[in-house]
Amino acid sequence: MNPVIVSSLTKRFGDFTAVDDISFEVRRGEIFGFLGPNGAGKTTTIRMILGLLAPTAGSVRVLGMDARRETAKIRPRTGYMSQRFSLYNDLTVIQNLRFYGAAYGLGNAQLQERIRAALQLADLEGREHLKTGELSGGWRQRLALGAAILHEPEIIFLDEPTAGVDPLSRRTFWDLLYRLVEEGVTVFVTTHYMDEAEHCHRLAFIRRGQIIALGAPSEIKRHKMRGEVLEIAPENAARAVEVLRTARLEGALPLESVELYGALVHVILPEARKHRKDILRTLQNAHIRVHNMDVIEPSLEDVFIAAMQ
Amino acid sequence: MSRILALTRKEFIHLRNDWWLPAFMLLGGLMELVMVAWVTSRPITNLPILVVDYDRSAASREVVTALENTGTFDLRGYADETAVKDAIVRGDINAAVVIPPDFSEQMVNPQDRPQLAVILNGAESIPATEALRSVQGVAYNLNTALVVERLHLPPEQFAGFDFSLRVWFNEALKDAFYTVPAEFGLMLEFVVLLFAALAFTRERELGTLEQLLVMPFSSLELILGKAIPVLAIAYSDFLLMLILIRYVFHLPLRGSLALLLVVAFGYMLVELGKGMVISVVSHTQHQAFLLVMLVGMTDFMFTGYAAPVEGMPVALQWLANLVPAHHWLTILRGVLLKGAGISVLWPNLLGLLVLGIIILTFSLRFVRRALD
Repeated sequence: MNPVIVSSLTKRFGDFTAVDDISFEVRRGEIFGFLGPNGAGKTTTIRMILGLLAPTAGSVRVLGMDARRETAKIRPRTGYMSQRFSLYNDLTVIQNLRFYGAAYGLGNAQLQERIRAALQLADLEGREHLKTGELSGGWRQRLALGAAILHEPEIIFLDEPTAGVDPLSRRTFWDLLYRLVEEGVTVFVTTHYMDEAEHCHRLAFIRRGQIIALGAPSEIKRHKMRGEVLEIAPENAARAVEVLRTARLEGALPLESVELYGALVHVILPEARKHRKDILRTLQNAHIRVHNMDVIEPSLEDVFIAAMQ
Repeated sequence: MSRILALTRKEFIHLRNDWWLPAFMLLGGLMELVMVAWVTSRPITNLPILVVDYDRSAASREVVTALENTGTFDLRGYADETAVKDAIVRGDINAAVVIPPDFSEQMVNPQDRPQLAVILNGAESIPATEALRSVQGVAYNLNTALVVERLHLPPEQFAGFDFSLRVWFNEALKDAFYTVPAEFGLMLEFVVLLFAALAFTRERELGTLEQLLVMPFSSLELILGKAIPVLAIAYSDFLLMLILIRYVFHLPLRGSLALLLVVAFGYMLVELGKGMVISVVSHTQHQAFLLVMLVGMTDFMFTGYAAPVEGMPVALQWLANLVPAHHWLTILRGVLLKGAGISVLWPNLLGLLVLGIIILTFSLRFVRRALD
């Protein structure tokens, strides 16, 4: 049986439906990404999965048990980490880890060994006596992960674990998650970083309380993408976007969307190769030089922008 | 059990890091108590007074000397009535005595009734009451002397009304005997309430409450882990304050110390329950603090500290029985000053017990539901 089973889960606050009849399952040993913009219902959903909030309708089963009623049996076998609030900043690294260990009932010998492993994982050996509040975001986040897996849980829930952390630390963090998955841990992670979504084995995209896409990143790309992505490297990307959007509105070009990606422009359209020349001509008529133009593999971001429109 | 200890240990680390909080808990109450005890254990003396003497005679000077000899007044000199009015309004003096022009003549003439006028600043009622008491004493002595003289008797043959006053429990009628136990009892309430109210609000404000709730703590373990440090610190505070009032301010402890120690602990549990409820309903520490003030101030009205409960409207007197602090202070005063035991204090002990059971059951349920 899958370790997390969410069926017809609904949460209403008065007239407002925060989570609207969603269903999905998380498979053992995978990284399951839960994506969506702020306010889409991510936090409400994870709170119901953790058993902190009672659903209005539907149910959540974690490790085969009812998430709301059998918390005492579920909690020793699961871990939870939220990047900002997992640790006490006035406690030292070792004090935080000892508190976690004791809270999960680890015996002394086991605790010593697990703390050593957590310090190694977080690369914090020799810094045990630093105040946690003095650590940088990346360290703190790795320490929080180390604390959350101290008791060797079967599933770990991560709520926006990399929010506000530099890209290099985020990279290291994901490497750690892959190591955990290799050891057989199931990872449930919420994020709003699209590049992180690509690293997930499977993901669900939630918007206004409803799941609009569910599956492996490649499946989602295949099913949700109407058209192809043409990446254009023009001289003046901002101007190029303006010109192409005007052309789209006037119906001169069959474009689904035109989005700025740094110095590049992504255009989504059916049969991109057929319309290459027309697009190039439109830009040249507006005196914009084009350095490069290629049909590329769509990113998840492209897919979601297309899906949201 | 080991989980409760883990939580308690963590709380003590917070307390060590945030040293001002326990320092405030321990020393705040102690300092307040020292100040109240010190101020109220001193007699009121040297109240500034002005005299308007229209008579300027030996008899009028005798009155002024008698007033000075009471020790209550500090004679600031002679003035006219306008100057007296100004001085009272400005707050320079608390009292004034007006001696009419024919005072000495009326003292001599057996048919006359000599008069003295006293003006008091009623805006400050405590010094005014003290001044009144002193002036009445002086007037009583003057009257006795006058009667003796008018009866043409040698003073040693005069026998008047013999009024004998015996004050029980507080022989010298020291204010300190009343205010110090009240302050002592209230300080214990505030320390427990405030400290307990911060228990979960702090975690909620830091955002760590969520993490605590997904750990395998049962709600009862969370409550106990949070309650132990509160009880440990508040009880130490109670013992420190008790030693202070006993050995520094020499208040009597006439009843059973054991009874006091047990009741104090039980009372702490009741206030702990109230504090924990505040702790889970408040979203911020600020809000918790204001709620503690509100609850504390309401209780304060029913402790008999500011005004005697017996003088309140019947409905409020009845309500006072529902306030744990009311019973606690009655017991505290009874044990300290009157040497009362269980046979006398049982109604209050019972009241505290019943209220305690109700409040603790309710708050335990309420807090557990809020945490689950």
